[in-house]
Amino acid sequence: MSDFIRKRLIDNNAALVQLLGLCPLLAVSNSAINALGLGIATIFTLTTTNMLVSLIRPIINKEIRISLFVLLIASVVTALEMFMNAYFHELYLVLGIFIPLIVTNCIIIARAESFASKNTLLLSIKDGFFTGLGFAWVLFAIGAIREIIGQGSIFSQAHLLFGEVGHSLHWQFIDEYQGFLIAILPPGAFFVLALLVAVKNKLNATKNN
Amino acid sequence: MPKMVKIPLILSVVTLLTSGLLMLSEYLTHDKIEEQKKLLLLKSLVQLIPAQLHDNDLVESTLLIHENELLGHRQAQKVYIGRLKGKLSVVAIPVTSRMGYSGDIDLIVGIKENGNITTVKILEQHETPGLGDLILPNKSDWLMQFPNQSLNKLSTQQWQVKKDGGDFDQITGATITPRAVVNAVKQSLEYFENNKILFEQASLAPKMSGTNHE
Repeated sequence: MSDFIRKRLIDNNAALVQLLGLCPLLAVSNSAINALGLGIATIFTLTTTNMLVSLIRPIINKEIRISLFVLLIASVVTALEMFMNAYFHELYLVLGIFIPLIVTNCIIIARAESFASKNTLLLSIKDGFFTGLGFAWVLFAIGAIREIIGQGSIFSQAHLLFGEVGHSLHWQFIDEYQGFLIAILPPGAFFVLALLVAVKNKLNATKNN
Repeated sequence: MPKMVKIPLILSVVTLLTSGLLMLSEYLTHDKIEEQKKLLLLKSLVQLIPAQLHDNDLVESTLLIHENELLGHRQAQKVYIGRLKGKLSVVAIPVTSRMGYSGDIDLIVGIKENGNITTVKILEQHETPGLGDLILPNKSDWLMQFPNQSLNKLSTQQWQVKKDGGDFDQITGATITPRAVVNAVKQSLEYFENNKILFEQASLAPKMSGTNHE
């Protein structure tokens, strides 16, 4: 794995290390499928906005750059919302307000400002995709862990994302599982994120020794 | 070019481009979104008008109404009319509450001929996640208070949330959303009582195009 990719997926992961975009990370990670849905939406948004920002680099002006970024990000997210509404209608209803809230995910404006506005088109697309992927896998990991602990299942409601085939993905580990509510509730998100950050730090520490 | 000209020019061009993007997306998705909403509605209809309570084709048997004041409709809406052996048995009335915490709440209420509710479905809402959206059936069983209720069983006073002196539970931390829903459901029941004759006629002549009270 090249250093470029490794940095974005692990070493300087937007969610695990920079701790950016916590609002969607904590709010939508209550099941693996919700997390995957929002993760994919975020990858798409980041890649597209990075691409557009890089394209308009020649006309970006210091005074109005933030306005331009916000304009682009908001439009891309609104378009994305329409397409999700059209093609993943039920998932759209489940994710609800968190799709428009991708606009406020600070990872996106951070990448636009610190990377895409200074780098070439291809490099910016690559940066957007891998930063997004880094965020998405953490989101998905938290979602999966919370769902396993909270509901004793994984990929419930997978049909929202994959259509009818999705029903067969749903796997209930433990029948008549009573549920462990706190994992599904917001505090569970903090616990699992803290756990992942701790594991990451531990691995770093071992490696450095 | 002086900055005074250049900066507004850049902003205008980018605004135009992004508006174009949005118009294109809207154009590409509009029909599909309507279609998806219709599909979801049909799925809900099965619960609103249970199969054993009707023997007609629900999609064919509708009445177009536009009750801006009574039911909060922003455009003409379809009432679905279920008939059993040619007689009115259940209707599903769409109602929009404008009293929600953030934006409209679109509901559809199934009402039996005797005025009892079959069930209430929420079609669209934008309430606060974790608070107002607990009205959704997959988040809590709050909506289960409605089936089998009617205007006969509860007085006007009782058709309110407990905080206002009524019989319906509110949700801790969120009173506005339940209040809006309870009120909208009550409105639809009253509408049904006052306009029963309309639905009975419509169920005799299913091809009738409907009325517009505005």
